[in-house]
Amino acid sequence: MNRTLIGFIRKELTQTLRDKRMRILLFVMPVIQLTLFGVAISNEVKNIRLAAVFDSRDTVLRDVYERSIAGKWFIPAKSRAHDAYTMIEAGDADAVLVPPPGGFTRALGRGDAHLQLLVNATNVLQAQSVEGYLQNIIQQTVKDDMKLTPPDFPIQINTRVLFNPDLETSVFMVPGVMAMIMIISTMVMANIAIVREKEMGTFEMLISAPVSRSEVIYGKTIPYVLLGMSNLPLILAVAVFVFQVPMRGSLLLLLSAALAFVCTTVAVGTLISTYCQNQQQATLAGFLFIFPMIMFSGMMFPLENMPVVLQWISYFDPLAHFLGLLRNIMLKGGETTYVATHIAVLAALAVATVVASFRRFHTTLE
Amino acid sequence: MKTFVWRRAAAVSRKEVLHILRDPYTLGAALALPVFMVIMFGVAIEFNVKNVALTVCDSDQTQSSRRLLDSFGSSQYFLLHGVPSPYEAVKEVSAERARAALIIPPRFEKDLFDGRGAEVQMLVDGSDNSTVGPVLSYVSSIQTIASRRIADYDPPAPYDLRTRFLFNPELNSRWFVIPGLTVVVMSILSILLTALTIAREWENGSMELLLSTPVEPLEIIVGKLAPYGALGIIAVAFVYVIARTVFGIPFVGNLAVFGLGCLLFLMTYLAQGLLISVVTRKQTIAMQLAMMSGMLPSNLLSGFIFPIESMPKFFQYFTMILPARWFMTIARDTFLVGSSFFELSGSFLALSIFCVLMILIATRRFKRDLEP
Amino acid sequence: MNFSSSETHDHETAVEVRNLSVRFGDFYAVNRVSFSVRRGETFGFLGANGAGKTTTIRVLCGLLRPAEGYVRVAGVSFDQGEQAVKSKVGYMSQKFTLYDDLTIEENLSFTASLRKLDTATYMRRRQELFDFIAFDRPLNTIVRDLSGGTKQQVSLAASLLHDPEVVFLDEPTAGVTPASRSRFWSLIRKLAENNKTVFVTTHYMDEAEQCDRIALMREGKILALDTPDGLKRSIFPMPMLEFDPKEPLSFAEISEMATHEVFMFFEPYGLRFHASFRSEDGWEKVRPFFEEKFTIRQIKPSLEDVFIQTVESEVA
Repeated sequence: MNRTLIGFIRKELTQTLRDKRMRILLFVMPVIQLTLFGVAISNEVKNIRLAAVFDSRDTVLRDVYERSIAGKWFIPAKSRAHDAYTMIEAGDADAVLVPPPGGFTRALGRGDAHLQLLVNATNVLQAQSVEGYLQNIIQQTVKDDMKLTPPDFPIQINTRVLFNPDLETSVFMVPGVMAMIMIISTMVMANIAIVREKEMGTFEMLISAPVSRSEVIYGKTIPYVLLGMSNLPLILAVAVFVFQVPMRGSLLLLLSAALAFVCTTVAVGTLISTYCQNQQQATLAGFLFIFPMIMFSGMMFPLENMPVVLQWISYFDPLAHFLGLLRNIMLKGGETTYVATHIAVLAALAVATVVASFRRFHTTLE
Repeated sequence: MKTFVWRRAAAVSRKEVLHILRDPYTLGAALALPVFMVIMFGVAIEFNVKNVALTVCDSDQTQSSRRLLDSFGSSQYFLLHGVPSPYEAVKEVSAERARAALIIPPRFEKDLFDGRGAEVQMLVDGSDNSTVGPVLSYVSSIQTIASRRIADYDPPAPYDLRTRFLFNPELNSRWFVIPGLTVVVMSILSILLTALTIAREWENGSMELLLSTPVEPLEIIVGKLAPYGALGIIAVAFVYVIARTVFGIPFVGNLAVFGLGCLLFLMTYLAQGLLISVVTRKQTIAMQLAMMSGMLPSNLLSGFIFPIESMPKFFQYFTMILPARWFMTIARDTFLVGSSFFELSGSFLALSIFCVLMILIATRRFKRDLEP
Repeated sequence: MNFSSSETHDHETAVEVRNLSVRFGDFYAVNRVSFSVRRGETFGFLGANGAGKTTTIRVLCGLLRPAEGYVRVAGVSFDQGEQAVKSKVGYMSQKFTLYDDLTIEENLSFTASLRKLDTATYMRRRQELFDFIAFDRPLNTIVRDLSGGTKQQVSLAASLLHDPEVVFLDEPTAGVTPASRSRFWSLIRKLAENNKTVFVTTHYMDEAEQCDRIALMREGKILALDTPDGLKRSIFPMPMLEFDPKEPLSFAEISEMATHEVFMFFEPYGLRFHASFRSEDGWEKVRPFFEEKFTIRQIKPSLEDVFIQTVESEVA
């Protein structure tokens, strides 16, 4: 390889790894992010505070309540208020079951049982899930207590969840976190690296030597591709061994996808750097890019629900492609057409970005 | 205790305002960011899943099976396309071309009319958390509907569950997300901007210049933070206006209560930004620290998208030390629930404690930093 | 404007510049400048900040494209592309030629890789340069921990690593102790002895005195170009006198004297004054009058006097 290129790579890596703060960013941040995303956050519905208004004779409702609390979704609500609405409004309960006058049990016997459920619908997903869970529990309780056994549905739809039968949150989230961690060490760092040279003035010294554009651009990008890839084994190991995320596809496939992704993000970081004059701008720009990248990646919100126009944006989002690739390779084993297509798209994005960087880059001062 | 001269603080403020105005990037980002975020979130977010790609393998090809397919297709939840074999159906899911597969066995109609009960299999892609839950619940309602339509199965229900969804009766995802944006936007702006300001002055040496004048530390703090406070308020105002006018989000609470919450939260985050600035003295590090300690928690751990109740117990307690979590409650409740100040007193107490604490720590650290 | 009359056009010319202009928007940083530098010459560029010195150097190093003009450095013209120029010259910029967070060795080996020197050549050149500079610091010291003087030495070594014929030094002694400054200039003299062409910009008049020829630059133009002595002779054809006041003078008295028609130059110089007269006869007439108030002796004009006079006359 080119003597200049080797010198560049060595210099960049030395500088980056020597800086204690960079080391923290590279190795500590990933751990924090993995903990946060892999453990803390999820959409799973749990710890819903449930209250039910019943007296001692209302056995069915009491059973419903106790069954709900015994399950993993609900916990008892404690409130001083007496009516259901106030309980929820005051923030003491998330859901309240209100029987008809005389109690639910008696109404069931009469045949006109209307059971009211009040749910705090601020969180839409939560509210829907709560309704669903309670419906099941009520149905089961009524069946058991009242000894009503309606015939089974003539049409039974048996559902089976593929690839993640236990609906483990970490399996959802961890691939996304892996991608996010890699973005930081590639896009942000590559960006800052180039801008820092400009700001410090060493850029001038650099181009006073007869280096070509390629040598500078590749010299500045290849080290960060290497760094980004070096991140991968560690976080992959944590994902698989600590979070029990399955790894059903081939390692080679995963590495290829990661390489394509890392090249793209480094290229994007480099392109951004040609627009920034100082490190403050560089960091701000990096953040401004990462935020929409996460938004349109499918990590937080379902992409299929977005208006078509916005879905188009996600086609240009490397994070979206890589997340899809990670999920597909790790959870589904890696389907050839899908993997090939998305790696190709990443490669195309990388090439286009690098070409744009070349255009904007000059080995003279302007 | 030295005297606090308002005029000197105002002079510091004026200088800060000039800095801000002359840096179009920062100003543009500060004002455009909230607008951009509200619009993006408002338009892009929809948690209620629709148009789920469903592959169908109908090995029965009878009128009943077609009516079953129709039950799926006529709901707005699923987009159907057919494949010849069950193997193909699963492959579609593996290849990310479908999120679920419906497999109807060859004896479907026969089993149905024989009274044995017909079974079909539904395979759901478990790799995407946003679709699994909704799909499973759709399936159960379609099961009921289909049974009624195709097999005339309509047993009298022993009871009737009437659900009243409070505060957001139409289950509008935007009503959930956008009030939370006031928290996110403010936290981003206030921390980011203040974290940079003092570090920048140390970096280019103008801080020492400032300190050689009779200006008191407290005047510097108040003077520097005031403009960013104003920016933060303006940003929230933008969010509020857009939320109410463009997206029609209700505000049933008390504007004063919300305003008080805004103020407390703003001051806390400004103080935090100041602290970061003082501690790091370098802009790049300040920014990274601001992102890690300010924005990440306020976006992820405050209950903005991911509910606090869903977190492990340890994290639920951990979030109690995050001002963002308390302000999130205040913001959401004043928009949608209409809680009174008294009802939110717990959140306000917590927020005030953190506000005072943060200001004290930041001020003390700043003063101590100035000792030669 | 005063020009030296020696302009050669053969391979003995290291640097040739004709009608060079550099424009930033509407502003001409360098305005139709012409000069040439001989091989082995130590050429000094003098001028205030913003005069256009650094811009000119940047063009000569291939770092900036000129708006117009002809530039030829070490036998390579700009038409042949800036890379060709860059390979022939060494450049030491005003500040931060080095990476603060790397060691001396890492900095130099990076420079070697930029210049595509193979390891053997690099090691040999490095040793030669260290001997030349008499450099003895441990190589694995981080540059941030070095003194200003040492940094400049390492910078110089870096700029000479590829053994260029022409070396451009932009204010190489800025912010460095006087001892380091004089040591640095002795290095420059050694370079000249080895037939290297050295192109230097400086603020210090005493350094300018050590150049073979100097050019005075102001607002993008060259006001004067000659050997130091030549400049002094042409700017001050009449002898330069030093006036040492016997008693303190009032401001009115000083201004009256300064505007006296006999003087073409009258400037304070510390507590004394330097002055030069327009004509012998005119001076002889008023001489007794001044000898009452001052002790007068003849001195050699300094470059500072030259500089002030040139700038004043240009302004006038």
